Amino acid sequence: MSKVNTALASELQYYGAKEFSACYNCGNCTAICSLASENNEFPRKMIRLSTLGLENEIESSLEPWLCYYCGECSSTCPRQAEPGELMMSLRRYLTARYDWTGLSRRFYTSEIWELGAIFLLAAFILVLFIFFHGPMTTELTAEGGVKLNTFAPWKTIEIGDWIMAAFLGFFLLSNIFNMYLKVMVRNNNVKIPIKLYFTTLWDLAFNFATQWEFSKSDNKTKIAGKQFNISPYWIMHWLLMSSYVLMLILIMVFLGWFQTDIIYEWWHPQRILGYYATFGLMAGLIYFFYNRIKKEQESGKHSHLSDWVFIVLLALTTISGILVHFFRIYGLPYSTYYMYVFHLMVLFPMLMIEVPFSKWSHLAYRPFAIYFAKVKSAAEKMNSKN
Amino acid sequence: MEEKRNIGVYICQCGSNISDYVDVEKVREEVAKINHVSISKTTMFACADATQNEIVQDIQENNLDAIVVASCSPKLHLDTFKNVAERAGLNPYNYVQVNIREQCSWAHSDKPVQATEKAIQLVKAGIARAGYSEALIKTKISAENVVVVVGAGVSGMRSAIELADLGSYVYLIEREYFVGGRVAQWGELFTTNETGKETIRRLYNKLMEYKNITLFTGAEIISNTGTVGNFDIQVKIRPRYIKPGCKVDPEKLQKVIDACPVEIPDVFNFNLTTCKAIYKNFESEFPEIPAIDPEHCTRCGECEKLCDDIDLGQKDEFVNIKAGAILINTGYDPYEPKTGEFGYKEIENVITLPQLKRLIELSGKELIYKNKKIHNIGYIYCVGSRQKDGENKYCSRYCCTSTIYTSIVIKNKYKDIHNFHFDKSIRTYGKLELLYREASENGDIFLQFWDEDPPVVSRNGNGTVVSIKDMLSSGKELEVDCDLVVLVTGMVPRQDNKIADILKAPLGRDKFFNEIHPKLRPVETVIDGVLISGACQGPKNISESVKSSLSAASKANSLVKKGEIELKPTIAFIDKNACVWCDECLKACPFDAIIKVQSDGKDVAEIVEAKCKGGGMCLPVCPENAINLKGYTDNEMEAMITALAD
Repeated sequence: MSKVNTALASELQYYGAKEFSACYNCGNCTAICSLASENNEFPRKMIRLSTLGLENEIESSLEPWLCYYCGECSSTCPRQAEPGELMMSLRRYLTARYDWTGLSRRFYTSEIWELGAIFLLAAFILVLFIFFHGPMTTELTAEGGVKLNTFAPWKTIEIGDWIMAAFLGFFLLSNIFNMYLKVMVRNNNVKIPIKLYFTTLWDLAFNFATQWEFSKSDNKTKIAGKQFNISPYWIMHWLLMSSYVLMLILIMVFLGWFQTDIIYEWWHPQRILGYYATFGLMAGLIYFFYNRIKKEQESGKHSHLSDWVFIVLLALTTISGILVHFFRIYGLPYSTYYMYVFHLMVLFPMLMIEVPFSKWSHLAYRPFAIYFAKVKSAAEKMNSKN
Repeated sequence: MEEKRNIGVYICQCGSNISDYVDVEKVREEVAKINHVSISKTTMFACADATQNEIVQDIQENNLDAIVVASCSPKLHLDTFKNVAERAGLNPYNYVQVNIREQCSWAHSDKPVQATEKAIQLVKAGIARAGYSEALIKTKISAENVVVVVGAGVSGMRSAIELADLGSYVYLIEREYFVGGRVAQWGELFTTNETGKETIRRLYNKLMEYKNITLFTGAEIISNTGTVGNFDIQVKIRPRYIKPGCKVDPEKLQKVIDACPVEIPDVFNFNLTTCKAIYKNFESEFPEIPAIDPEHCTRCGECEKLCDDIDLGQKDEFVNIKAGAILINTGYDPYEPKTGEFGYKEIENVITLPQLKRLIELSGKELIYKNKKIHNIGYIYCVGSRQKDGENKYCSRYCCTSTIYTSIVIKNKYKDIHNFHFDKSIRTYGKLELLYREASENGDIFLQFWDEDPPVVSRNGNGTVVSIKDMLSSGKELEVDCDLVVLVTGMVPRQDNKIADILKAPLGRDKFFNEIHPKLRPVETVIDGVLISGACQGPKNISESVKSSLSAASKANSLVKKGEIELKPTIAFIDKNACVWCDECLKACPFDAIIKVQSDGKDVAEIVEAKCKGGGMCLPVCPENAINLKGYTDNEMEAMITALAD
């Protein structure tokens, strides 16, 4: 026996779900949804749970992570209840529920907290540079490039990177563990043999690397009149994702090789990889900006502050990174230094806020959700056989 | 009775509907052999204009004294060919229709030979009947252009105004001391947002403009002895105990009310409050003069001491009215739940929807019931309607909308109230659907239960809990804390429905008044001149009630405005020589159309022509075979049987 709780509906408004109470349970969303099955009324079940305010059941649900917002449900809804946007909002809500620090909830539900934290962290970086930066030499290298490593030695930066990474990793992993507890331990009546966690590990790795489920959306890519079985959203998303993962690897592991004072030829792998990443990021960003501004696709029609913060910060990081590169090779020392500081002032809050507490955490929650769902269904199958 | 000697017979092919299976030419050949048949023809379509004209010509040229058309069901074309006869100068009752389509060709499409034989027999029987057919003349009776409208609720008042506009004189008879009926009890109403009171005030002011409307309040019809055109009605008017010329001074009235020692449950507020024996339900109620309830007044005289306009010596008055038609507009009662039905009368915060509506009217800025501020309201739908086990199988139509509109009013008027709807599926049909949407958007929660698994209301400590197996969440068991549980009660027929007996107006299985035909004659009853409209006929919302009352008004006016009414001639008649007055026929007649009269020194039965419906119930019970039915006489029937048996 569960108690109906009206408070959740008002709370979900802050996470972006403003229209779902208009739902009158016709089930059109379920009829059109490619993820719906006989046993899972996707997404109507989540709408109903939200309406009734059954927090524990929502908390243990994986459905929001399996939805990739193709938007068919929203465009079919006869009452404009925006089921797709509810699923999006539930992802925000779940991110906040998994986060034991409570920061995520603050960031999602309060604009002051979100923007305040960004400026505070940016100010922190600024202060660090003001006190600890290296000499701002105007002397150029033999090739005419700026001596960036004199201003900000890569070894020092790398140490900072690792401290930050440890920080991020700790919060993200602990939140994933929290997710595991809520989904697989509490509110779970299926007995799960440990070995299943290992046999399905491949799914986790594969989905982590590709977010392949995205490609299965009903939206098909058309190139020169030919239709491909992959959604354009996935292509752009993967382009963006592979680019920032590449950037992350270069910065975290190969910073000494990547942040050099030497100017290599244009074909050198250091520059080629850098250019690929900036191209991927820019192309992806343009696509996502276009989507949110034009509002042609359902997924772009509703933008929460956190959606804008994410792409704006990523865009600023990318553009400032490109400028640092060109200011350096064209020998503009002060421009290079200031832009470098700005670059880190954007990058740092972006990673600190987005990865463990906001939208970037999807990169972990989505593959884990698919992984947990696989484990659960395998366990159910085993149990039914016995 | 002279047998007709000169009969025309037409056998229709109905395109090929008949002729594919019945050999129409053979039928014609067979019936042509009958002596009295002077003309026999087959035709492609008897109902076609050309054929109709041909029949007219045949009748006139050959002086036919009866015609028979063998074609489709009389339901389809009886009137068509009656008109043909009339156009040719032949009495329409000398026309006989034989059904050889539905009852022959279609029914026996697998056996054409036998179908043809059957058709021959049927047509022969028709010819035999035509031979004994009589020319019947419609009787005409005079009619008063006066209509009695029973019940001054919204639809009664509206129809009274309409009838007065159309030129009829109207007597509007209201049982209560004030007009307005149920609508006066309600606050804001969809779609106008006007309150019930305002609507009634508007109608009342309009009503008062008419010289040809007389309103009686506190009045009831106690008997009727007349029939259509000439109803003879006696009305009893209970005293108001207040002199008619009284000019109401609200302050003085309050003093008088305060002085009255009698305190009784206030029915106008569905017993939520109490009132005195002298009362007015609300200040702007009409007529403006208050009333003293004679049933509860102890005649103590306290009020008389304070006010000269009070006269406890007033007596019942009786008025006789002659009217051409009667319009019943007596409305409905809200269903009264049984003790224990969803906790009603057992758990203190379980009330009905009408009570909630009065509670809102009586409340200020906060919704308070029994000294507790209300936060969560649970509405349980279909209480007393759509019953699985009970008698009320029907849907009351208005309640879904009314509840949802009330929940919206509550949302707008009070802060922090949550609405929970426990329904069986929402029926906010037509434009009313917009309200359903608005309520959902307000965040109201709708939960749906199965017929066999209704919600359960139970006490839980200080509070009340409604538990439900929710159909919309795959049968999940849910609980809702409610500090007010509202039973959405439907409409039932008036408990006191004496008027049905007095006027002999028939009730349906659901005990609401019954119309002749739900689609084609929706406001007439089988009693000529007695019309029904509004919720006394079945659950209706206000606009539906008013629509039906306007329709009944124009029907009533069209009946009486010509000053005379034509009656069907196919009624019973009595052979006074044979009759011995055993009263069997009177007992059999459902319409009281038989009276006892003196004839040649003995008691005999007589048919009241305006009341007789030609039902034929009296015929078989007569031991002397003294009764016949015009148009269906023994001669006709026996001739048909003989023809069929040949």
